[in-house]
Amino acid sequence: MEVPLPLIWLVKIVVIFGGLVSTAALMSLAERKVSAWMQYRIGPNRVGPFGLLQPLADGVKFIFKEELIPAGANKFMFRLAPALSAAPAMLTMAVIPIGGTVVLGEYSIPLSIADVDIGVLFLLAFSGLSIYGVILGGWASNSKYSLLGGLRASAQMISYELTLILTILAVVALEGTLNLRTISENQQHVGEWNIWTQPLAFVLFTITMFAETNRHPFDFAECEPELVGGFHTEYSAMRFALYFLGEYCAMTVLSCLNATLFLGGPSVPFWPEAPWFVGIAAFCLKAGFFLFLFLWVRWSLPRMRFDQLMRLGWKVFLPLALANLLITGGFIAFGAH
Amino acid sequence: MVIVQRKELTLAERLYLPEIFRGLSITFRKFFEKPITRQYPEEPLPTDEVTRGQPRLVVKDDGNIACVSCGMCEIACPAYAITIDGGETDRQIEREPKRFEIDMLRCILCGFCEEACPKDAIFMSNELELADYTRRGLIYDMEKLKRPKSALQPRIDYVYKINKRWRRTQA
Ligand code: SF4
Ligand code: SF4
Repeated sequence: MEVPLPLIWLVKIVVIFGGLVSTAALMSLAERKVSAWMQYRIGPNRVGPFGLLQPLADGVKFIFKEELIPAGANKFMFRLAPALSAAPAMLTMAVIPIGGTVVLGEYSIPLSIADVDIGVLFLLAFSGLSIYGVILGGWASNSKYSLLGGLRASAQMISYELTLILTILAVVALEGTLNLRTISENQQHVGEWNIWTQPLAFVLFTITMFAETNRHPFDFAECEPELVGGFHTEYSAMRFALYFLGEYCAMTVLSCLNATLFLGGPSVPFWPEAPWFVGIAAFCLKAGFFLFLFLWVRWSLPRMRFDQLMRLGWKVFLPLALANLLITGGFIAFGAH
Repeated sequence: MVIVQRKELTLAERLYLPEIFRGLSITFRKFFEKPITRQYPEEPLPTDEVTRGQPRLVVKDDGNIACVSCGMCEIACPAYAITIDGGETDRQIEREPKRFEIDMLRCILCGFCEEACPKDAIFMSNELELADYTRRGLIYDMEKLKRPKSALQPRIDYVYKINKRWRRTQA
């Protein structure tokens, strides 16, 4: 049995990328289902069993819809922006280790597309890129609402990115590596999970996650009441859907990252030698919890005010994250850990 | 002038996180409660005799319609929805409509025709659904309007009950 290595890569890419996109599609259904259940409603249930085929129906609808481009828009940028927003979110999935190593015969296959030593850096760099899609889309639409939405989004993402990076940095300092696979392998036992040593970083990261993906209660980029949808006001058809795909992909990736950094990735509590498929299931459960949290919070909390958001980001989260990093650094330096 | 004393927030409230968890726990509990959605086409709305649905013509037990084409409903109709062409008949009442049309697109379901009719010939049924692919299809002719008296009986009794001050007998 001789399987060429590129074939293994190809299978991995297809499986992981397909999994990511279908998670994003399912999230669009879950969003409506969860909101419905929380409001004593049933939610979409007409297409397929339990409405499971709804994302497909939506996709078909989006593809066949007429695409409108505003007259004053910068056509090139307008067409480019949604792709710029969605692609980085999907790319970042490449470095997330969704499981340990699978041993099949003579092959041992690590369960991530790319096992790079600077995984965390790669992920942060690319997720930082997706802001260009938002702000370019807002600017190229040549509409005041879109521009305001884009501006807000950029201000928000830049200020929260700082906190995000500082919290991740604390974990990285503790683990002494930027390789996500090593980080997740270092947390084999439940007692080694970083959530115990970095509880503040975990809380900060979880909250910042919402701001980074422009989700409730921080969804100022697409504030419906004031901005009529924000940066995607002028978008229609598949390009509009692409923005949403990007948003859901970013949510999925950040949930996976959260599970990897703080909850030990694919490690199963009290069963360190669990087989690889149990590990994947555990990983999906952990990431799924955060995905559910996104929806749960969305349907529970009202949107904040923009100045509150900025104050929270710069005056509360940033100092807390800095202090956390400082204390972590102190502990590492003086060998108390 | 009223001076509203703002409640001082406690530390826990200002931290905001405990309150967030309280909110989250509420929505989580609602998560498992039974939905109150009515799956409309499969579970139709409940109706009873008070429901003022759409105007329908009464067909008496002998198979003839009760209408004598007097035109009272046509005049009473505020939306000019009713069109009647009168005609003669050999029956004792001598007159009956040759054409009786209600344009359901114009009808505002007010029930004035029901009140105006001196012969108990038109009543509001409990039908609620009103949809078609063409405008022409929503101009109901006599065949579409006819309903057996037994089907309209609850509504007839109800109308007699609420109007019993001036309506004495039942036709
Ligand atoms: S219900 Fe009102 S609007 Fe409709 S036909 Fe009767 S009188 Fe006219
Ligand atoms: S008022 Fe009654 S009897 Fe007169 S035309 Fe209308 S339905 Fe017929």
